[in-house]
Amino acid sequence: MANEPLLDRRFLERLERLTIHWQRSFNGLVGGHNRSRFSGGGQEFLDHRNYHQGDDLRAVNWRAFMRLDKMFLKMFQVEPRVPVHILLDTSESMSVDPAKFYYARKLAASLSYVGLVRLDMIELLPFAGELHKGRTVGGGRQRFSPLATFLEELTSGGSTNFMKVSRQFLNEFPQRGLVIIISDFLGEENYEKAIQFLADAGNELCLIQLWTDDERSPSWSGEYDLVEAETNAKLHIHVDSDAKRRYTEEFDKHAAAIRTLALRNSGRYAGIPTSMPLDDAIFVELVRTRSIA
Amino acid sequence: MELLNLTLGQFLITFGGVAAVAVALYLLDRTKKRHVVSTLRFWVTPGQPAPVSRNRRIQQKVSFLMQLLGMLLLMLAIAEFQFGGGFSKRRDHVLVLDSSAWMSAALPGGAKGTTLMDAARANALGWLRAVPPTDRVLVVRADGLATPVTAWEVDHRKILRAILETTPGSTALNLSQNLEFARDMQRRSGAESGEIVYSGPGRISAREATSPNLPEMPAFRVLNVDDAVENCGIRSVGARHSESKQGVWEVLVRARNYGRRTRTVSITLNYGHAPQGNHTLDLPPGEDKETLFEVNSRAAGILEARLYLQGSPGDGFAADNYASLELPEQRTLHVVVYTDQPAALKPALESDPRVRAEYRPKSAYTPDNDGLVVLDRFRPETAPKGKAFWIDPPSDRSPITVKERVEHPEGLRWVPDQPLTQGLRARNSQIESTSVLQTQSDDIRVAEIDQGAVMMARGDTLVAGFNPFAGSMRYELSVPILVGNILRWASLDTFRDIDVGTQSAGAVSSPLPTTVDRKSVKVLTETGTILPFNIRDRAVQFFAGEPTRVRVLSGTAERVYSLTLPEMWDAKWTTPKDARRGIPAWNDTLRRNQILWPWLAILGIGLLVAEWVLYGSYRLSRLHVVARREEAA
Repeated sequence: MANEPLLDRRFLERLERLTIHWQRSFNGLVGGHNRSRFSGGGQEFLDHRNYHQGDDLRAVNWRAFMRLDKMFLKMFQVEPRVPVHILLDTSESMSVDPAKFYYARKLAASLSYVGLVRLDMIELLPFAGELHKGRTVGGGRQRFSPLATFLEELTSGGSTNFMKVSRQFLNEFPQRGLVIIISDFLGEENYEKAIQFLADAGNELCLIQLWTDDERSPSWSGEYDLVEAETNAKLHIHVDSDAKRRYTEEFDKHAAAIRTLALRNSGRYAGIPTSMPLDDAIFVELVRTRSIA
Repeated sequence: MELLNLTLGQFLITFGGVAAVAVALYLLDRTKKRHVVSTLRFWVTPGQPAPVSRNRRIQQKVSFLMQLLGMLLLMLAIAEFQFGGGFSKRRDHVLVLDSSAWMSAALPGGAKGTTLMDAARANALGWLRAVPPTDRVLVVRADGLATPVTAWEVDHRKILRAILETTPGSTALNLSQNLEFARDMQRRSGAESGEIVYSGPGRISAREATSPNLPEMPAFRVLNVDDAVENCGIRSVGARHSESKQGVWEVLVRARNYGRRTRTVSITLNYGHAPQGNHTLDLPPGEDKETLFEVNSRAAGILEARLYLQGSPGDGFAADNYASLELPEQRTLHVVVYTDQPAALKPALESDPRVRAEYRPKSAYTPDNDGLVVLDRFRPETAPKGKAFWIDPPSDRSPITVKERVEHPEGLRWVPDQPLTQGLRARNSQIESTSVLQTQSDDIRVAEIDQGAVMMARGDTLVAGFNPFAGSMRYELSVPILVGNILRWASLDTFRDIDVGTQSAGAVSSPLPTTVDRKSVKVLTETGTILPFNIRDRAVQFFAGEPTRVRVLSGTAERVYSLTLPEMWDAKWTTPKDARRGIPAWNDTLRRNQILWPWLAILGIGLLVAEWVLYGSYRLSRLHVVARREEAA
């Protein structure tokens, strides 16, 4: 699993048809189809200004220089994009079953590739107890390779602290945008408040909850010492059919609460078991929830 | 109360093991295991207590007891639990099935071709049907020897096959030995002894009848077979050379009436398919009679004796009405005597009809020799071929060097312990003169005086330094004995004392002369293989279990036994008073006992099913179904 590329070429080609979708209109920013009035390295000409030392010589209007004997710099309009923040949970609970963390990284890579193809700015931010150093990429599919390498080298560990992560995120990325959180939303219990902060700051939420089948419906029964992966807390318990039934009921309530949180903030929610093929997760589940289109 | 299939110990060990495994599995299912999970929050429902730890404690005691009780009932079913009944104990029985020669006799009152063996087999099968299926049976075929034909067997099909395959043998019943063997096998089996069952008519030898040696048997049963049949048969046939007539065999046929009334029998004798005579005998019941035939023949051939019972009823046992024996060729020794005084040698040589003596003058000498050449004080130019007896040869031309010539020697003595001096005991025989011979290490010294050997053998040459047929010695008994020994030395086979007889197969005792060296005794079958034998009470004893011809060689004698007659009995065995009789009714008793194991099995399975319904997965799965329905609603 570790030696394989996260996504193969054929799957990437299929992803090129998709677009990350958001609903909200952000102040100061427009969607990809609107033009910004900020100058920059765009395609459309905006104005001229005097040349200053250190400017890029490639932007000098050499025709004007030939006529006027003075160097003017051509200015182009930038195309501002809504930033897409992908927050990937790398806490210990994500790797109780290594397949879940691997699945999460593949899902993050897929969404990043979809964004890159549409020239979106992707902020990939791993987190656990705090926000880790992420990777910002944009400008097309050719930038995907370093991002994929980053994801492949990513490791899990630590316990989740959503509140600290939210505060850190809002400090470092004041610009509003789309926030995609890929997590199992286990570990810390007051995650709702932290995520609510993100929404209240003007971000649009897309919450993707991952779980393994064993996490939702345990297949084992008997006398157990259960150890929580992130906190090492222990619980001595006799697991029988009745206990398992109640466990599943509580898990479903938890998933429903995450969904409610997303919808209440005009966001989107997708609950994906790791037993679901990635194809189905992308092209069925995320499309159904209108996270991508 | 008892268990048919298992002993109490086996049952307790097996059930204890099963119960221990069940308890261990129950507790193992509740052994604490460590498991890492993503979160603990869903295991404890707010407002509800956490599921209780149940480690190593028996929960749902009623369920567990139902499981153990169910398994106990199933184990009892497997062990075939039963109330009461000493009949149902597993026992080891021995069936002694008579397979003696007499068993081929016709069954009185039976259908044509039905034999006593058929009746004994039918009785044995009837007894086998009464044997409980858990009892073990060992089948022994009883004739002269006890032959077990099965192991300790509970499979009635194998026992049935062994009974049906039993056929009459050639020897008489040795009941004591067979019953002793059966009892010994019962003692060694290790299980509880059952019955020793004898199936047959109980015909035994007179020796056994006079001194019965039956073992102590706790349970002895007799399945009697009625054998009151009329039978006359040949007891023995013997043949020997006639002492008075040359080339004549005297054949003695002995017949016996085993029936209950006087019968007339005719006995015919054939030799080489040619009739030799027919004698009629009146045989009183239980008595033997002999009749003598003379057969004139030197050639070898088969002698056959047949007995025909006249009148009605007919003979019920045909196997002893015919006997055959092989007569050997009557050989002669050709002796050529070169002498000028044949009258001196004739009395010694012509006394034996097996000697064909020819007297020739010295002038007619030829070296050819097909038997024995006797040279009386004569030395030819060419030595004779083969065996030669030189009588007082000339001192200067003797075939063995002469040391000296002694006149009127004294103290002539025979060197003992050799065939040439067998029977010679005389001392100081008077001879007029003799040559003293030069001996070598391999020479056989026959007679000697103080000066040295005067008669000795070297290879095929026998030289006497004196003339035993002259002087006063010619009247001594030593001379014909010496001549007889010389003739045997020349051709041992011709002068071997042949006694030919027909007997029955089984244990044979052949008388042994006292003078015979025991090391020279051999017992050979007709194929030449050596038969084991024992020498006891001046008799060679051996056993032949089937019809054959046996030769007993002892020194110069040979006895040929044609064991073609079946070994016969002499007496009817009297059944002990305490013996059980007839076919028992064990199985009927057993059938009357209620068979419990199917009910125990049903009850055990029912308990386990009930436990599963009440406490097992069945109930939980039903709860799940109900829960899903409630969710759907």
